Amino acid sequence: MVLYDKASAVRLALLVVLTLFATSCIKDEEPNTECDILSIIFPSDILLRQPYISDKPEKMGSGESEKVYYSIEVMVKAGVDVTKLAPEFTLTPGATISPESGVERDFTSPQEYVTTSQDGKWHRTYVVTVKKEEPPVELQFIKYGFENVKTESKFNRQYDVFYEVDADDSEKVTMTWDSGNSGFAWSLIGSTVGGSPDVFPTFQADNGVVGKCAELITRETGPMGSSFSPPMPIAAGNLFTGKFVLNLGNPRKSTHFGEGILFRHVPLYFSGYFKYTPGEVYKAINENNQFVAVPGKTDECNIYSVLYEVTDDMPYLDGDNVLSDDNPNIIAVAAISAEDRKGSPQWKEFRVPFQLRAGKTIDPDKLESGAYSLTIVMTSSKDGDYFAGAIGSCLLVDELEITCN
Amino acid sequence: MNKIKIFVISAVFCLVGLNMNGQTDGPNKVGLKGFLNGLDYEVNAGTNIGGAAPLPLPAEIREINSYSPNLNLQIGATVTKWIDAKQKWGASVGLRMETRGMETKATVKNYGMAIIQNGEELSGRWTGKVQTKYHSQQLTIPITAVFRAHPRLRINLGPYLSFAFNNDFNGYVYEGYLREGDPTGEKVSFEGESRASYDFSDSLRSFQWGMQGGVSWTAYKHLLVNANLTWGCNNIFVSSFKTVTFNLYPIYLNVGFGYLF
Repeated sequence: MVLYDKASAVRLALLVVLTLFATSCIKDEEPNTECDILSIIFPSDILLRQPYISDKPEKMGSGESEKVYYSIEVMVKAGVDVTKLAPEFTLTPGATISPESGVERDFTSPQEYVTTSQDGKWHRTYVVTVKKEEPPVELQFIKYGFENVKTESKFNRQYDVFYEVDADDSEKVTMTWDSGNSGFAWSLIGSTVGGSPDVFPTFQADNGVVGKCAELITRETGPMGSSFSPPMPIAAGNLFTGKFVLNLGNPRKSTHFGEGILFRHVPLYFSGYFKYTPGEVYKAINENNQFVAVPGKTDECNIYSVLYEVTDDMPYLDGDNVLSDDNPNIIAVAAISAEDRKGSPQWKEFRVPFQLRAGKTIDPDKLESGAYSLTIVMTSSKDGDYFAGAIGSCLLVDELEITCN
Repeated sequence: MNKIKIFVISAVFCLVGLNMNGQTDGPNKVGLKGFLNGLDYEVNAGTNIGGAAPLPLPAEIREINSYSPNLNLQIGATVTKWIDAKQKWGASVGLRMETRGMETKATVKNYGMAIIQNGEELSGRWTGKVQTKYHSQQLTIPITAVFRAHPRLRINLGPYLSFAFNNDFNGYVYEGYLREGDPTGEKVSFEGESRASYDFSDSLRSFQWGMQGGVSWTAYKHLLVNANLTWGCNNIFVSSFKTVTFNLYPIYLNVGFGYLF
């Protein structure tokens, strides 16, 4: 009798366990829904730089024909026949591309590709632009006046993106600056702060030395910034040549300084005008992940330019190594003085020489072959990349110039 | 909350008090005393092991990396009225205060989610890890039919109603990436230490109901060993809550001891 009941209890228990088990099994994996181009492959001897695949949606056309695309920039050496290039692609596993990998196309003009996800439901349009290296031109200086901005939109908020145009053709965009504005847009989700460019850390302002100028302000991030762990309580105004690719796990890796920039001159001086007022309370993140005031410390700005060699293992500099003393790729650095970093209530001119790092020279052959890149970096809080600085620190910059030999 | 605790404790004492009366009653009484005559009183304590789980697991969940039931204590009292003279069939009503909770870490793929900050929503597809902590303090009233399968073994089955007076459901996402909007959206990587937290506590429902079934083994004269499975029949979230795209049902195994007066 007792035995029987034990058995029925076991049976009941088994039934319960089996029911739980049967309904809780991990299901088979569904086909992938993503359809990214992970890499674009050309014969390596024709490339000047690693191709840059943007993940930022851009729009072309208008009205009904408007469509979203993602751009891929490829820089090839002089003399390469761009009319017959057959790039190969690696895609999200299971995804397909049209035209297919290895199909020869004429890249005199940008070429469109459409990818389809493994489950067949999702598509992405990519536009591949091949830029041919132009022979270096003689020039004395390169000027940046911050007169041109376009607005980009993220999460219904608009921010400024600075770009430079050709001196002879104002329609021709020669270079686009980048900043952490798109990352700041993230932090603003749920914020009551409006969505106009001047609430962002980096934007165009009036009253420059000549025309307009760039204004960089260290901002408190929105609710999202503080909900992250570790917290990202502030965003320093920053502006640099290169690309910003948000990396939440390691924010200093988000700034790709000099990526996509080809520099073929010997830089001598870095000059320009700035105006800087540090914010009132310098704060930093303490060991308990709290953002607290650091008594006795005043915020500083920074403005510098770095000439570096592009190698396969270091295709660009980032926040962790852009000024590192032991970075073997850095050739020369020009930075404002420690005194100037503290600020100037009025517009002040600076002119600093590019100083070669110990044991480094500018190799004419590498200059010729396009192995060097140059980045210009500005920030309203020198330690903003470590989320230390004073909210409200304000840096204005105008009429930057790289004087070349 | 304290008031509720006091209420529960007094409820338990009332039942114990009833029992005192019961013990003094002789057999074959009529009226209230007669009704009380066929009653068993039990106070019990135990622990809840289980979780709030989607059934069946959606395909987006690729792996359960870790699970901890947490220490979910439960105290309560049960009164059983035997219907027949042989005391084979009866009905039970109980009152228990209990904690239901769990902590899980799961790996998901292409999981529809939204991060909500002050009403502004960022929706997207998350691929990566999700940590979830669920903790709910509830007052539960089970009403069950009881069958004595053996002089020492009782089987019970019936519905229960729970009122949650303290609800938490929160966690964070980490080691993965979000596609903004849909699978073709911009990819935002969360690497290393980076986490984004969420808190859906306000969207948990207060009233839950479900089915309970289990066994009670009389180990010694007064000592019971209880095992009950409680299976929630409604989603732990209110129906207007759409962020978690599948329903989560509270399923708990309650194991404990009882003292039979």
